[in-house]
Amino acid sequence: MQKNDLLEKDRDLFYSIEHTGPAFYWMVGLLMTILAFALFTYIIQIKFGLGITGLAQPISWGFYIVNFVFFIGISHAGTLISAILRLSKAEWRRPITRMAEVITAIVLAIGGLHPIIDQGQPERILHLVTSGRLQSPLLWDVTSITAYFAASTVYLYLPLIPDIAILRDRGTKPRWLYQFLSWGWQGTERQKKILERAINILMVMVIPIAVSVHTVISYIFAMTIQPGWHSTIFGPYFVAGAIFSGIAALLIVMIAFRKVYHLERYLKEIHFKYLSTLLLIMSLIWFYFTFSEYLTTFYGHEPDEMKVFFYKFTGDFSPYFWIMVICNFIIPVGILSNSKTRNITGIFIASVCVLIGMWLERLIIVVPSLANPRLEYPTGIYIPTLTEWALFAGGVAVFILGFLIFAKYFPLISIWEIEEGRETSISEVAHRLSSYLPDDVEQDEIKKILK
Amino acid sequence: MEKKSIFILQIASIVYIWIFVIAVDVWILSLLNVAKKLNDAINASVAIGILAIPLFITIAGILTYVFVGLQKNKV
Amino acid sequence: MARWGMVIDLNKCTGCAECVTACKVENNVAVVGKDESEMGRTMLWMDILTHYEGEYPNTKVRYLPRPCLQCDNPPCTKVCPVRATYLDPEGIVAQIFPQCIGCRYCMAACPYTVKSFNWYEPHWPQEMAAALNPDVSARPAGVVEKCTFCVHRLQKAKEQADSENRELQDNEYIPACAEDCPTQAISFGDLDSPHSEVSELIRSPRIFTLLEELGTEPKVYYLSEIE
Repeated sequence: MQKNDLLEKDRDLFYSIEHTGPAFYWMVGLLMTILAFALFTYIIQIKFGLGITGLAQPISWGFYIVNFVFFIGISHAGTLISAILRLSKAEWRRPITRMAEVITAIVLAIGGLHPIIDQGQPERILHLVTSGRLQSPLLWDVTSITAYFAASTVYLYLPLIPDIAILRDRGTKPRWLYQFLSWGWQGTERQKKILERAINILMVMVIPIAVSVHTVISYIFAMTIQPGWHSTIFGPYFVAGAIFSGIAALLIVMIAFRKVYHLERYLKEIHFKYLSTLLLIMSLIWFYFTFSEYLTTFYGHEPDEMKVFFYKFTGDFSPYFWIMVICNFIIPVGILSNSKTRNITGIFIASVCVLIGMWLERLIIVVPSLANPRLEYPTGIYIPTLTEWALFAGGVAVFILGFLIFAKYFPLISIWEIEEGRETSISEVAHRLSSYLPDDVEQDEIKKILK
Repeated sequence: MEKKSIFILQIASIVYIWIFVIAVDVWILSLLNVAKKLNDAINASVAIGILAIPLFITIAGILTYVFVGLQKNKV
Repeated sequence: MARWGMVIDLNKCTGCAECVTACKVENNVAVVGKDESEMGRTMLWMDILTHYEGEYPNTKVRYLPRPCLQCDNPPCTKVCPVRATYLDPEGIVAQIFPQCIGCRYCMAACPYTVKSFNWYEPHWPQEMAAALNPDVSARPAGVVEKCTFCVHRLQKAKEQADSENRELQDNEYIPACAEDCPTQAISFGDLDSPHSEVSELIRSPRIFTLLEELGTEPKVYYLSEIE
């Protein structure tokens, strides 16, 4: 009986699953149209070759690689943040972790496809299977992204099992799906213990895997000897940037779905304030990395490096470079360090700016180094064509679509973790707090306070 | 009847996960073999193999542990 | 085993681009149109870099023919994910067109920017299409290509020598650019053979290689101009 009361309390969380309005179908239809158009352009690209993009020599990598790095970067929102929050027993994580994990799974799938889109001979991807070279940083990527995708889907799925069982017990359709995915979960003590143990192992495992993914992506560039790429701080620089853009994406998703599915009771201002503090810190860290990266280049003043440096600071790419600095540093720090502007609207603006800024950062890393070859070649300007824009839009559409479909079948906020929070976390935190204090607080006293 | 088919589906998914993981590991091992045959910087590949092979097995192991554990501990 | 290398005497080079043309014809390198060329998609296995010095009217133009540098420590082969490019035992950085997946990582990694990509299916003006060199495989769209030191000529020369039951002789294998150069600025041969022309030339005090500081150890050497 009591269980049903609790579920009644959380009925908002079932809203997205049990009520599907026309807006949902319109949205899905719109996104499908965008996706269909992207697929169409991709088929044309396969038919005619990469010539229909804006790529040329020497700028032979463009939007596809930029988006690859960008999307995989966003994936760090998820599993990494959720694992760190879980590991550090941050109680405010409860309504956030699920969304973060969903972002990871969807975005990884999108990002992982981008190198294939970029390939001149996509069907020869099978050559990786038969004669791949594990010595190439591209294979490091394949391995670590596969591992991350596997680990983070499992990490999304395991904490979902009790919620799936709740849906099964409510008789939500399609029933077979929930029956299949819930694995006979009944919430017995023993089952809870098994699940908890598995989640604990995974959450420790997933952190180094996540860090490795973006480190290895940075190595694609850093392992070459090209000016602007061959840098030792690229690994941590990319990881920091990835977490930075990931938090921004998570905040945008949280704000959007809070509004659409009326989750204000769960996602309170306090959650946004805490997460935006993290965003602020990451913005400062990002600036620190960028500063060290470019100052060392400038001070050394090596001619080839300086060509790339000035291409970014005063040359063709200077508008993008300075917009990036404004979007990634000046605006977020300006908004988030002032408590007056640090409200949901402000946080939303800051997050959107960060996403734009981080996308530009990836562009600024990939293109200028290629546009300034060491020898004297005539170089053009890279202007992406409709194909590249369409496939970019397609990627974004898949992201939103994936989220909508997930929300149609599964709760976006972990129901059982919210319940667990209500039932046990207050006394647990009280005990934990008392253990921090210099003099031991008596058990009775805690009970008194709790009452 | 439905219960039985769902159970079969569940078993199938465990089998599928293991096939996937073993396939990845076999793939890495075969690449090691090619690198050795062609004398192409084998040590770099070995380092990646050592990291990746147990990792995939662990992921599949955790999943199997949960699946089997949950099925076994039903009331 | 031979270690093939090239010496280009900049003092003799007039910048006539005969080597560029000879290379294009020899290796079936695709001809792209004007628009494509303006986008930066010209395909040249042998290119001539131009360097302008001084202010008008006291300008000096310098030319530098640039084939693939055939590094002994090639940055491109290291990064290839599928072994579509590798250093063969005779020191030639080979490209395997049917193996290439078209990821263009080697293009990005090459410090000399010598590689070209087939952005479209390669095509030629009608008159040329009928006269393609049958010894060089045609490339499909979406693969990377570059100078191979006319490796098909090496294969042919070796087969010839084999059939006549003798060793390969000096000057039997020579790439199209070296053969066609009107001022004989390009010498080619075995760097390890003590009597070859190239091994004598690389002892010259005028010798240098491009971007020596990178440690790629190119096997294409240059003899600097005499002022």
